[in-house]
Amino acid sequence: MSSTRMRHGRLGPIGVLVLAIGVLWVLIPLAYLLSMAFMTRTEVISGSYLPATLQWENWQAVVEAGIPRTIGNSLLVAVGATLITLVLATPAAWAIARHGAGGKALSAVILAPWLLPPIVAVVPIFVLLRVAGLNNTLLGITLVYSLVNVPVAVWLLEGFVRRLPGEIEEAGTVDGAGDLGLLLRIVVPLIAPGIVAVGIIITVLSYNEYLLASFILLQPEVHTLPVAISLFQGDRFAHLGRIAAASVAGVLPVYAVAVLFQRWLVSGLTSGGVK
Amino acid sequence: MVPTILVVVVLALYPLAFSVAAALNDSSLGKPFNGWVGLENVESVLGDGDVIGALIRTTIYALAVTAVSVLAGLAIAVALDRTTRGGSLLRTIFLLPLLTPAVTVAILWKVILSPSGGLLSTVLTDLGFDGSALSPLSSTALALPTIALADVWEWTPLVTILLYAALQAVDWETVEAATLDGAHGRTLLLGVILPTIAGAIAAVALIRLVLAFKVFDLVAVLTAGGPGQSTTTASYLIFQRALQQFDVGQASVITLLLAIVVTLVTLPFVYLMRRAHA
Repeated sequence: MSSTRMRHGRLGPIGVLVLAIGVLWVLIPLAYLLSMAFMTRTEVISGSYLPATLQWENWQAVVEAGIPRTIGNSLLVAVGATLITLVLATPAAWAIARHGAGGKALSAVILAPWLLPPIVAVVPIFVLLRVAGLNNTLLGITLVYSLVNVPVAVWLLEGFVRRLPGEIEEAGTVDGAGDLGLLLRIVVPLIAPGIVAVGIIITVLSYNEYLLASFILLQPEVHTLPVAISLFQGDRFAHLGRIAAASVAGVLPVYAVAVLFQRWLVSGLTSGGVK
Repeated sequence: MVPTILVVVVLALYPLAFSVAAALNDSSLGKPFNGWVGLENVESVLGDGDVIGALIRTTIYALAVTAVSVLAGLAIAVALDRTTRGGSLLRTIFLLPLLTPAVTVAILWKVILSPSGGLLSTVLTDLGFDGSALSPLSSTALALPTIALADVWEWTPLVTILLYAALQAVDWETVEAATLDGAHGRTLLLGVILPTIAGAIAAVALIRLVLAFKVFDLVAVLTAGGPGQSTTTASYLIFQRALQQFDVGQASVITLLLAIVVTLVTLPFVYLMRRAHA
């Protein structure tokens, strides 16, 4: 441990300062949001750092506005979409990494749409869903997310497949396993940590998605959290304390993910990002 | 495996093909392909000062946000790489902005910058200034920098995490050899370690640049493109043309133009990345 620590140099006073500024820069806005979620309207308007007493009426308003249900909608959609994405992306990532399917051109084609703003996809997706009669349904948005995230998932998963030693699969081939058997019995168990890591990232991406959801989900009962929050903040009767409470409620599930799965998130993010 | 590859390719190409087709036709939201018009859409868009203005604004915005994010993210990554204790807690803290929905990031900054009772105005008032006089989001000059601030808050952690991983993967024998040659401290960092991760820095800058070019949610919630057109970024303009004016043909042309601009601006980074890996 000590030798690995020595290698990149010691953490000097400048380093400590950089970390301190970074941590404060991240946490002060979040702490202020949390504090505001417990303030009365008067406290908010008069400008306060902390509430005099913890006010729960903002939270009551958030529950009455149906925010908990939209969090449920978001979780349902995000998890469902992620499962479909992984089923589609894992074989594709394996085929590209292992068999060189499609060559270099395919990798480029897969990432090309990522260069475009997602607004490009709104109109074509809207038209498709209308034809399928899936506008305004959670099933519709689930299918959209599951497909939209496939390229990112393939890109991230590829990094994990490439790190597998090829001999393991060769041994499987000798044993007479077909492509599907090889994938399910050998590759998937070995890259399971990668699949979980990428799954977490994709779930968070879907949970946070706003643009597509705001066009596809127009009825209040199918609103996802980002749509509900954006409408809630536009409502002139909702004062900042209530908006803050709704925001805090909405980020709790993803922050729980950060705390519980920090290691997985970092490994998933770094596999595709800098290869 | 062929079917899944096919699915991926179709998914990747569908929006692009749709955009090209819509650009060459008279296309509204209800009726996407309403008759061939050739390059008519392209001509009207190229002669449109609002479009050119938005593209220039977006390019400057993306470059500025990327520069700040990469410098700050790199500084934090280097410090994080040297921590001996608390690294796990620090990494968790730095993940938070990245995991926050963009809509919530926008609200966070709206709350902080609100002239009536926001954090900034409260601090200014306590310091003896008139805090309620400052309203960055309704100022033509300050609105876009404010969105940039929120953007930097949201995405700098991604730069930090990716560069931190690159630093952790640096081959320690190279560094050791340089130390024996007498390099240490700043010389070691600038002369040995940073050049070793130059490829990763270029890759991360590329990712960051593309994310900044695509900024939409922050604009939609914080300013809706205003005041005036001061925060009308390319994505937001495409949204206005397609979904408020229903001119999908023009929106598609702007989309393709933006794709060309993004490609041109990111090319030097791709070149740097390739050279570092060669």
